[in-house]
Amino acid sequence: MQPEYKSKYNTHVIRIVLVLAVVAVVGVTVRSMVIPESFGKYGHYRADAIKDEVNRPIRNGTNAACLSCHPYIREMHLEGIHRTVSCEFCHGPVADHVKDGKVVAKLPKKQGEEIKTLCLRCHNKIIRARPKEAIKMISMPEHLEQKHVRTDHNCNQCHNVHSPMMWVLEARAIVGVEEESK
Amino acid sequence: MMDAIQSEISRDRRAFIKKVLGGTIAGSLLLVIPAGAMDVPEQIPGMREQEGPFIKGKKFVFIVDITRCIGCGSCCVADKNEYQVPDGNYRTWVERYVIDDHDNVYVDSPNGGLDGYQKPRTDIPHPVRDTFFVPKLCNMCEKPSCVQVCPVGATYQTKDGFVLIDQKRCVACSYCVQACPYSVRFINPKTKTADKCTWCYHRVRKGLLPACVNVCPVQARKFGDVNDRNSEVYKILHQPHVVSVLKPGMGNKPSLHYVGLRREVV
Repeated sequence: MQPEYKSKYNTHVIRIVLVLAVVAVVGVTVRSMVIPESFGKYGHYRADAIKDEVNRPIRNGTNAACLSCHPYIREMHLEGIHRTVSCEFCHGPVADHVKDGKVVAKLPKKQGEEIKTLCLRCHNKIIRARPKEAIKMISMPEHLEQKHVRTDHNCNQCHNVHSPMMWVLEARAIVGVEEESK
Repeated sequence: MMDAIQSEISRDRRAFIKKVLGGTIAGSLLLVIPAGAMDVPEQIPGMREQEGPFIKGKKFVFIVDITRCIGCGSCCVADKNEYQVPDGNYRTWVERYVIDDHDNVYVDSPNGGLDGYQKPRTDIPHPVRDTFFVPKLCNMCEKPSCVQVCPVGATYQTKDGFVLIDQKRCVACSYCVQACPYSVRFINPKTKTADKCTWCYHRVRKGLLPACVNVCPVQARKFGDVNDRNSEVYKILHQPHVVSVLKPGMGNKPSLHYVGLRREVV
């Protein structure tokens, strides 16, 4: 007959249970520390991340925002064909100019060659692919020669950048010249 | 009788002086008080009344009209200004396609179109048959592969259909950069996280159009609610138009549609 074998010692069992308990506690603590609070609320992501994204500062306003403080420009800009051109495209974002309702800095005004570069970004005939009906195209310096002005003239010497035909039409009205054939 | 007239005149005088004083004071106050906080009128109706974590009842789509784009790069400038994107990275960019009469296709995008297209291509041996511009941005897929591959849940799709990035959680492993079939993602060297176009989620939630849509001078970029039957985007998507998406075979189901998309682009 085999002797009944039973250990009087159960420390090994206690040891395993203790180790498992410690692992579980550490695991749960680390998990709660590592995983952000709002994670998994709407899906496998941090729900507060949406708030972070929504609270990103707006840096570009709209033309309406710019023109609400610049009535003189407003009058010209909305009259002319450039009314769809964004103020901030040439002058920079409104956030650099106004903060909390106060003017913090002046936005740069483009000068000379910079203006010409900006104009030709859209109006350069040499770049094809621009629908003729959408936008008036010119090629430099033929345009200047055709208009009998010096070839080092800048666009803004004849054209008001906000309302391109304003001065031209006024001048024509004063002198009484009919529109030239194109 | 005379007295009555006299008193009438003196009362008028008093009223007049009161009015003048009031007017001057009020007028001078107008000069002293600075104009209130930046007043930006709402561009997407009903967005400022929206509450809760997600936009309700609206499904936004983005439409790019290739037949209108003039390649001025306003959109790229606005985008760089809005997000202060580091040089050499582009959340949106404009590509120029040139096709010669031998049907060779040449594509370039110098500095992402940020400086516009000032010069024609001179390296094409044959006469040019056709050229056009194609603006690119996030396709905001209905089944985004970038979200699928993110190991830490940093890229996610909101219930209103926007695919966004959690800047605090991203570990910049670049899985999503590789997974995106449209190459719109990049690792932002400033934040050291993945970054991409969000269709200006922060602006849309505050009732403003995305920055690029707002500045486009020829309305080549359109953004709107396709659930609204009177919107322009609904009309484009539900009436006969040449409308397509990029790489439809990938199965990502983009919400970005192109009007007049050519075979060469897809």
